[in-house]
Amino acid sequence: MEQTIIKYIEEELASEDIEDGLEITDDLLGSGILDSLGMVKLISFVEEKFNISIPPEDMVIENFMTVENIRDYINTKL
Amino acid sequence: MIYNLIQIIENSAKEFPSKDAFRYLDEAISFKDLDMKSSQIAKHLLNLGVKKGDRIGILMPRCLETAIAVYGILKSGAAYVPIDPSVPNVRASFLIKDCGIKHVITIPKQIKKIKKIILENNILTSVIGISNEVGVLTTTWETIFKISLENYIPLKILGEDLSYILYTSGTTGNPKGIMHTHNSALAFTKLVVDLYDFNSTDKVANVAPLHFDPSILGYFSAPLAGATTVIIPDAHLKFPVSLAELMEKEQLTIWFSVPLILVQLMLNGDIENKDFSSLRWVLFSGEVFATKQLRALMNIWPRATFSNIYGPTELNQCTNYNLSMPPKGDATIPIGNTWGNTEYKVLDENDNDVKEGDEGLLVVRSATMMKGYWNNKPLTEKSLYKEKLASGFEHIYYRTGDLVKLNDNNELLFLGRKDRQIKFRGFRIEIDEIENTLLKHNQVIEAAVFLSNKENEQQLVGTVLFVKGSETSSKDLKTHCKQYLPTYAVPERIEILESFPRTSSGKVNRKEIEKIIRL
Repeated sequence: MEQTIIKYIEEELASEDIEDGLEITDDLLGSGILDSLGMVKLISFVEEKFNISIPPEDMVIENFMTVENIRDYINTKL
Repeated sequence: MIYNLIQIIENSAKEFPSKDAFRYLDEAISFKDLDMKSSQIAKHLLNLGVKKGDRIGILMPRCLETAIAVYGILKSGAAYVPIDPSVPNVRASFLIKDCGIKHVITIPKQIKKIKKIILENNILTSVIGISNEVGVLTTTWETIFKISLENYIPLKILGEDLSYILYTSGTTGNPKGIMHTHNSALAFTKLVVDLYDFNSTDKVANVAPLHFDPSILGYFSAPLAGATTVIIPDAHLKFPVSLAELMEKEQLTIWFSVPLILVQLMLNGDIENKDFSSLRWVLFSGEVFATKQLRALMNIWPRATFSNIYGPTELNQCTNYNLSMPPKGDATIPIGNTWGNTEYKVLDENDNDVKEGDEGLLVVRSATMMKGYWNNKPLTEKSLYKEKLASGFEHIYYRTGDLVKLNDNNELLFLGRKDRQIKFRGFRIEIDEIENTLLKHNQVIEAAVFLSNKENEQQLVGTVLFVKGSETSSKDLKTHCKQYLPTYAVPERIEILESFPRTSSGKVNRKEIEKIIRL
């Protein structure tokens, strides 16, 4: 699951090549890896890929700060 | 008498020493600390040989250290140049070379970016904010904060001295640097404090990153009034619910952002169920706020007064239009009138005044106007309208390039651009810059870029013509663009065309292409 998300971010969303690859604990929000449009795309990718629906109240920093956070969040929905 | 920006912090440090000057999540810095720590940066920079007029880079995301860097650089007599950490390295390097930046201030989290930039720039001689593993002189924040100020002699800074250079999209494919002096920045700073009655009990949201001009309000106007600036973190701007929680927690009194963020807050931030009673001013600029959405938001926040602020970075800002009641019809709200120490003219193509109420190009003369474009005198000259009043005496206006007209109430209406500059999600982008970037790719012969409106959703679309037999994909082209352009300026969709439709004179027929891509 982590790898699917990482691959999508690296190939589709990241502003530039991420040196040494993206790690699951890297801060996606404060480091310029994703802009707000990128985050919108990531959320719809996650919804589609893992067949879950993310309600607005779950769209908070704690759930999407890192790939690890996203994984943990998805697991609560599966 | 205040005549430069550093007096703002010196004065507030005397008047409100222990008050929070800036806040960032759970961190805060008082006016006294900010005054002291910025002097420590200044002393360090002066020891490194920094001279008046030098340019120093700030490469940081939104964080508390930005405030120390801004005032520290200004105290050293240099001008600060924000470098957006999320732009491609090529763009950051261009900026460093264009401006001749020898020193950069950053934070430890940016180490990867800094390392890449140093590899490409032998002009950089020192970095402040990280430890020594990058091959140039480095000084950590801890070391800076130990510097003794015992024999520190503050520099005399004049109003005419350069204060900052903000880079914005340029038509040639490279960004251009807009120079402001202490005078022009302070004129704007004071006007804002006066117009919106900033006072020491205010808590002002700073939403814009340092490289966008709305940050001048958060970094200078608020401290001038002794108010607290709350720096909104990058992360919160991506999550309206988190942002609304932060706004409520901080009990903000003044907000200033692009309309897009306010619309997202309204649609997804669950703001009806939160307490925003402290909010007294909601200022917005950068693009048109759709009247229906503005009305909806004003109904949710009935106690706040709203203000539409307009002005290109070259002028800081120059007009405003206040609304204390939600707009009745759906007509676009005016940009209002020029404010204090500012006047305007509406001119036709030949620089003659248009008849009152007719459409024309807005030129503005103001104390808040830029000094010029860095290292680009021809472009500066081209951007100015000089009205000769007598031999050797003229009034100098900035040509905004915006089409406007006066309505029946003598308020200015914004009608669009005369050139191909666009505002997309609040970002100022030159279409020419994107096309020139596409043309840099060796397989591309021609390129045309559009902002298309599909189902009310705006999208940047590029169309290209390749050399014969090229196997380049549109994905390759996107990767190419990402090397040079900020993410927001990279076309969402790139269509490869077999041929470009042309007008009878042989020019690319953009209207026809737009039709094709809509299919």
